[in-house]
Amino acid sequence: MFKRKRSTEDFAEEIKAHLELEADELRREGLSEDAARRKARLEFGNVRAAQERFYLKDRWVGLDRLFRDVRFALRSLWHSPGFAATAILTLALGIGANTAVFSVMNAVLLRSLPVADPDRLVYLRTSNPPRGTGTIDSNETLSYPVYDALRRQSGGLSPVIAYVPLSNSKVAVRYGALPEEAEGDMVSGTFFSGLGVKVIRGRGFREEDETNHASIAVISYNYWTQRFARNPDVLGTTLYVNGVAITIVGVAAEGFEGVEGGGSTDFWIPLQGRPELNAWGNPLDDGKIYSANPTWWCLRLIGRLAPGVTRVQAVAQLQPVFQRAAYIGLGSPMQGEKPPVLSVIAAKNFPGYDERYGNPLRILMAMVGLVLLIAMTNVVMLLMARNAARQREFSVRQALGAGRGELLRQLLAESLILVSAGGALAWGFAEMATRLLGSWAQIESSLAPDRTVLLFTLGVLVLAAMLFGLAPLRMALAGGAELALKTSAATSNADAGKSRTGRMIVALQMALCVVLLVGGGLLIRTLRNLENTPLGVRVDGLVVFGVKPNITSIPDGIAFYAKLMDKLRALPGVESVTVMEERLGSGWSDNGDMTVDGKLPDVANGSSRTVRSNVVGPGFFHTLGVPVLVGRDFADSDTATSPHVGIINEQFAKRFFSNQNPLGHLIGTDDGRYQMTVVGVVKDHKYRSIDEDPIPMAWYMYAQIPMTGAMHVEMRIHGEPLAILPSARRELQQINPNLPLIRPMTQRAQYDTTISGQILFARLAGFFGFLAVVLVATGLYGSLAYRVNMRTAEIGVRMAVGARRGQVVWMILQDSLLLTAAGVVIGVPLAMLVGRALASSLYGVKPLDAVSYFLAVMGVAGVALVASAVPAGRAASVDPMRALRTE
Amino acid sequence: MATQENNDDRIALLQGTLDLLILKTLVLGPCHGQGVARLIQRQSEEVFLVDHGSLYVALQRLEDKKWISAKWGVSENNRKARFYSLTAKGREQLVEKIGEWRRLTRAMGLILEPGNGLRTEEV
Repeated sequence: MFKRKRSTEDFAEEIKAHLELEADELRREGLSEDAARRKARLEFGNVRAAQERFYLKDRWVGLDRLFRDVRFALRSLWHSPGFAATAILTLALGIGANTAVFSVMNAVLLRSLPVADPDRLVYLRTSNPPRGTGTIDSNETLSYPVYDALRRQSGGLSPVIAYVPLSNSKVAVRYGALPEEAEGDMVSGTFFSGLGVKVIRGRGFREEDETNHASIAVISYNYWTQRFARNPDVLGTTLYVNGVAITIVGVAAEGFEGVEGGGSTDFWIPLQGRPELNAWGNPLDDGKIYSANPTWWCLRLIGRLAPGVTRVQAVAQLQPVFQRAAYIGLGSPMQGEKPPVLSVIAAKNFPGYDERYGNPLRILMAMVGLVLLIAMTNVVMLLMARNAARQREFSVRQALGAGRGELLRQLLAESLILVSAGGALAWGFAEMATRLLGSWAQIESSLAPDRTVLLFTLGVLVLAAMLFGLAPLRMALAGGAELALKTSAATSNADAGKSRTGRMIVALQMALCVVLLVGGGLLIRTLRNLENTPLGVRVDGLVVFGVKPNITSIPDGIAFYAKLMDKLRALPGVESVTVMEERLGSGWSDNGDMTVDGKLPDVANGSSRTVRSNVVGPGFFHTLGVPVLVGRDFADSDTATSPHVGIINEQFAKRFFSNQNPLGHLIGTDDGRYQMTVVGVVKDHKYRSIDEDPIPMAWYMYAQIPMTGAMHVEMRIHGEPLAILPSARRELQQINPNLPLIRPMTQRAQYDTTISGQILFARLAGFFGFLAVVLVATGLYGSLAYRVNMRTAEIGVRMAVGARRGQVVWMILQDSLLLTAAGVVIGVPLAMLVGRALASSLYGVKPLDAVSYFLAVMGVAGVALVASAVPAGRAASVDPMRALRTE
Repeated sequence: MATQENNDDRIALLQGTLDLLILKTLVLGPCHGQGVARLIQRQSEEVFLVDHGSLYVALQRLEDKKWISAKWGVSENNRKARFYSLTAKGREQLVEKIGEWRRLTRAMGLILEPGNGLRTEEV
């Protein structure tokens, strides 16, 4: 297209030669020098036209014109920098917000697991666990005998893969002298081969690695990068997991961070058979590890459908195997007991993401969609205003022979420039925003935008470019060429100023603004409620960390914690120290039924008997600052040999000891094996999370029940709580150099993690509401100012015939108030729908919260008033004579 | 746009016939643009008027189609000129175009002068 075979100069040369040859010939025929030359020229006709035709011939004319149009558009935008900057920034904000939220949504909800043929993978689920079993999740985790039976079947699923974390948070690992923590899973030998995940360095696992419990590990690419700076010598390194030596033999492909939802796994080891590496880092249950314990349903299973087998067929084949295996070691099912039913669900996406992020993300996407709509209408209005002001320019150009096509091309070129500049800026915004979003939401999997995101953004941009090019064209052409001839400001602009489309757009924007403000308001009130929820605990000054000693003997375990607490109490600045099995505010709790005076308490039909319990150390309530209402706190004098004691909360007392003094009564586990005497009642306080409702609770004394596993240490410190950590670490490592402090943080921060999702969601929603208000305000100000401007002449006439200032101001204000009213009337019902959709994300606010609605309406009205007041004031100070003479 | 006056005895060329005339002229041997124009005018007994601008565009078009080739040379009166000559492909096209033209004129003749349409063959 650009390589021309012949230059225009060459062609001109040829024509010159022609003229000379012709003149020669004419001279030979008897004409004078001059006449011959003239005649030759005359005969030839228009030399320029011929050259032009040569120039245009088979050149890509369109492209040539495009350059011209773009140059022209750049020039014309350069002359109105305010307009260009506003439009580009508005677009960048709108599109950037959408790209950011979409990339998170894409990574979290839409992207597939980075495995081969993800469509053929399924998670195995059970309807319920059999009676007498403990689970991690009553539908998602299964027992080792079930796994063992399923993987031995042939057909249906091949292979069936088990995976289970080594800890419910992070596990202690050590390379050299310093202990650290990492996320590790125990997996089947078929894990990598079955999922189809490549191991880019070294090797993956083989089936015999599982049977031999080989002490080898494959690490994730991410962990390799962050911990080892991609050192190729990592293979062969020994890592100590809970003190067990394990050799790194492979690095998994980039992007694969395990199949656990929400986290990113750092390393995988084959399923093990030793107590130090029990599933979930749990202490042994009756001396049995997970694989020997049919009552502990703790493994997650994933399977690949055998070739040609559908999900339904696979389930049908596995069901009898599953139901038989479910009762291995449990005896036969009781009469009338509902047997567990196996089912499978698609494992295409990361498990648990949808439950956790699905709803908020979809709502955010809708919100940013509205923001984008507002942003786009803003730019359209700006363009329309600008083009209406240029109507005479267009008319003149049409009168001078510019075709509609040419005007269209010019408008498209302008919108192209705006959109590409806005798009480039938006991409930058989005990159930043995505990173922020990811770190706030604590999403550890990669959020890097991929092709889907790019296509999404390009799609939005193309749409915007078309819209911005076409919408104003209608107005530009409406004028027609004849307009140029009859123009005066008074006649030509009056119609444009009152354009019905413009009014509708403003009203629509107001409506969307109401919706966003109501949504944002509801969520921000939720946030306020959450942040101001009394915890019932004096959290300031509390610091918490986990410890996981590998101790199997019960007396040793008790002694370990007693010693640790003593050492920590001796540190300067420490007020008190205690321990607990479940960390407060971690979202975990131990739930079950409890007997009261030897039998399960009667409860009203339908209400729950569930009690949350925890195993804690001496001085627990004193350390937390929870008031003991009756009786006493646990003390060092409560030992394994002293009478077993327990403490309950107000809810427990109210529900199971109504009108009695609970002190002295016996409470115990539902199997009747452990009984304790109630010695205290404490005030209700938050256990699992900030947004939980009060529930009956009971506490066991750690020294009195057979447990030796991980505990969390709670310390009350004078001054800055985190400052104690280095000396606490030293004390711990004096006892055992293998042990790190697991997830040390202030108790306040720990509680906050339970509402971090809501906090993030509310902040974002509030931010987008605010962004919408800013956009609507600028848009409204722009379009009102423009409309008033267009009516300058009209206002001049009105004032000339006696209208007073107040009347003029009122006229303008009335107009925008009317638009606001229309916007509110449309917006409020829409906002009610949104409020309903938000209901599950609200805390302490009703979806029809009057205050939020009132504030939203006031906000929109305020914006409208402020945005109209300035132009109205300007209109009123118009000098009638000048207004009439505007031309 | 044309600055030439249309003398009564001259006829503007029909669309598409110029290509044929150029090819036919070049059968005689390589020639430059001005020579082609002269030859066409002379051979048609000054009936055809060749718009020179169109001629050069047509020459370029034929060159692009590789029906003719061109190179700069020197004319008989020692002027620099661009000489066109027929390619093998051009020759084939000429035969085909002449056939087309014959069919066209015969058909025209049949309609305009029913009865003695065969006589147009001599053109």
